[in-house]
Amino acid sequence: MQGMKDIAEMHWKHDLLGSIEVGIVVLNRDYEVQVWNLFMENHSNIIPSKIRNKSLFEFFPEIDCQWFKAKSEPVFSLKSPVFVIWEQRPFLFRFGANRPITSGSEFMFQNITIFPLASLTGRVEQVCIVVYDVTVQALNIKAVAALNSQLLEISRVDGLTGLFNHRYWEEQFCQEFKRNLRTKTQSSLIILDIDNLKKINDTYGYPAGDEVIRTLAEIVKKTTRETDLCGRYYDEKLTILLPDTGAESVQYLADRICRLVEKRLVQYQQHGIAYTVSLGVAQFDNIFSDHSHWLERAENALCKAKEAERNQVVIA
Amino acid sequence: MPTPVLICDDSGFARRQMARSIPDGWDVDISFAEHGQQAIELIRQGKADVMFLDLNMPVMDGYKTMEVIQEQDLPTMVIVVSGDVQPEAYAKMMALGALAFIAKPIDNQKICDILNQYGLYCGAATSQERTEAVGAVAQGNEPDQLDAYREMANIAMGRAGEQLAKLMGEFINLPIPNVNLITNNEIHMAIEDVKRNAAVSAVSQGFIGSGIYGEALVLFNDSNLTNIGKLLKYNHFSNNEAFELEALMDISNILIGACLNALSEQLHITFSHNHPIILGRHCDIDQLLDTKMVRWDKILAIEIAYSIKSQDIHFDLLLLFPGNAMDIMFKKLVKTST
Repeated sequence: MQGMKDIAEMHWKHDLLGSIEVGIVVLNRDYEVQVWNLFMENHSNIIPSKIRNKSLFEFFPEIDCQWFKAKSEPVFSLKSPVFVIWEQRPFLFRFGANRPITSGSEFMFQNITIFPLASLTGRVEQVCIVVYDVTVQALNIKAVAALNSQLLEISRVDGLTGLFNHRYWEEQFCQEFKRNLRTKTQSSLIILDIDNLKKINDTYGYPAGDEVIRTLAEIVKKTTRETDLCGRYYDEKLTILLPDTGAESVQYLADRICRLVEKRLVQYQQHGIAYTVSLGVAQFDNIFSDHSHWLERAENALCKAKEAERNQVVIA
Repeated sequence: MPTPVLICDDSGFARRQMARSIPDGWDVDISFAEHGQQAIELIRQGKADVMFLDLNMPVMDGYKTMEVIQEQDLPTMVIVVSGDVQPEAYAKMMALGALAFIAKPIDNQKICDILNQYGLYCGAATSQERTEAVGAVAQGNEPDQLDAYREMANIAMGRAGEQLAKLMGEFINLPIPNVNLITNNEIHMAIEDVKRNAAVSAVSQGFIGSGIYGEALVLFNDSNLTNIGKLLKYNHFSNNEAFELEALMDISNILIGACLNALSEQLHITFSHNHPIILGRHCDIDQLLDTKMVRWDKILAIEIAYSIKSQDIHFDLLLLFPGNAMDIMFKKLVKTST
């Protein structure tokens, strides 16, 4: 009778181990598989009798053997469980995703726990690996992170020109102003304004004006360095902040933008629209009380350029 | 004539626990000291033929005390009773002339074995009368409770330190755990050793068992990560990001695992731990702790500031227990030491 009971118990325990939706693997000191549950069998397509008493690494070349041994060593020697999260390694076993069509991932993201199994001697002769499928969780977290960086981008960038928007550019400008105060470096600021944009708008319509602004932004992007901060300040007014660059070096760049604009016709429908820009340049000065003071000086230089027949650079 | 015995430990809980473990049959006259300086004074007065000496104490720690004893050739036999069980700690104290080294938590049998071994006492191990004479280990008022938690943390810290030392091959400097009851979730107030202006990364893991539950946080100063990597001898990481994550997880696994093991031993509980999560990376400490927290009226916060002096590495282990979990834990601590 007792024998029957034992067998019955073994049977349902075996079922339990099989139907549980996590992977369970028991390894001995030589990393040979002792237990391989149904989850592992189904996802790997390796039946227990084939893998039992064989080295895990033989069957799964994707497991970095050296790394895995380094992870499991403390489990054997210190009897302390080890956790590996999917952010560290997306998976230990390369299994397909649970829902092959709509899951959005080719493989199963896994969290792994390795914990000690005490033997009768008290020494750890075997460890158990538990494999959790965290694909849904991982994809959600990744999606949120991607969305956040997209939102960040949207909140910083002007839609028409692809340059920084007013708010973000001014924030950065403010930081740069403080840095200049602190470090005594000399940065420069350019304000560009399209000459007579109103005339273009009146003649060809606002979409044409937009196209002109977009083309100018393109030229600005191409001529500036990666470290320069270009923004759409107001409508047809763009700004360029050049860290650690004195006004003389800026002169060359400003002149170049001026010439490039002059040469390039903006194609809008069947029209080729010619336009020019005026630029005011101001270098950082210790006497500035705040960043708006710096802006003001560049604006003044711009006004002078406008007064002197436009299409030119004036350095404050 | 009774043997003058001195118990030197900064924790009242630990002193009482020690006193209760001394066998009834041993005819002794027990004195107490809270730190090395007091101990030296009492040895000079002839009150310590045998001294049970803790290692981590304020004012004068166990190492310094032992040095003084050796230098001045003071008449006492020292048995070290320590939560710090790193081989270096053992070797250092034995080299300074300690008679024996016992790992905390102390119990009656451990003491008897040592006393037996050195021929100090050979009778029965039982300490029933002594236990009654010393009285309740702690009364349950706040300072007593905190002292009991501190001692518990001390032992857990030592165990985790030892395992970390094994992994890294370096001596880990163990502080005195900083134990606070905090209200209103001002957890950042409980953390003294993290540099406020530095960027930190944190790993969090929850644990639960027998009604006691809590959260363990490991906080890293980001500037330390390179040095940690050198110790862990990572060589197969192409990018920084992956390497930092690996270091965070390796250290947290060891620290939290060993610490919880030691707690479960002392409380006679087997904890379930859930999977750790990365709480935040490269962020401001206050921001990390403020944004995500549930409000509790009362939290027990244990801060353990580990450091490896030779490598200029520091990291913090924070064990947090909400109010009701804390009360259950206290009852267990008092009960298991009775």
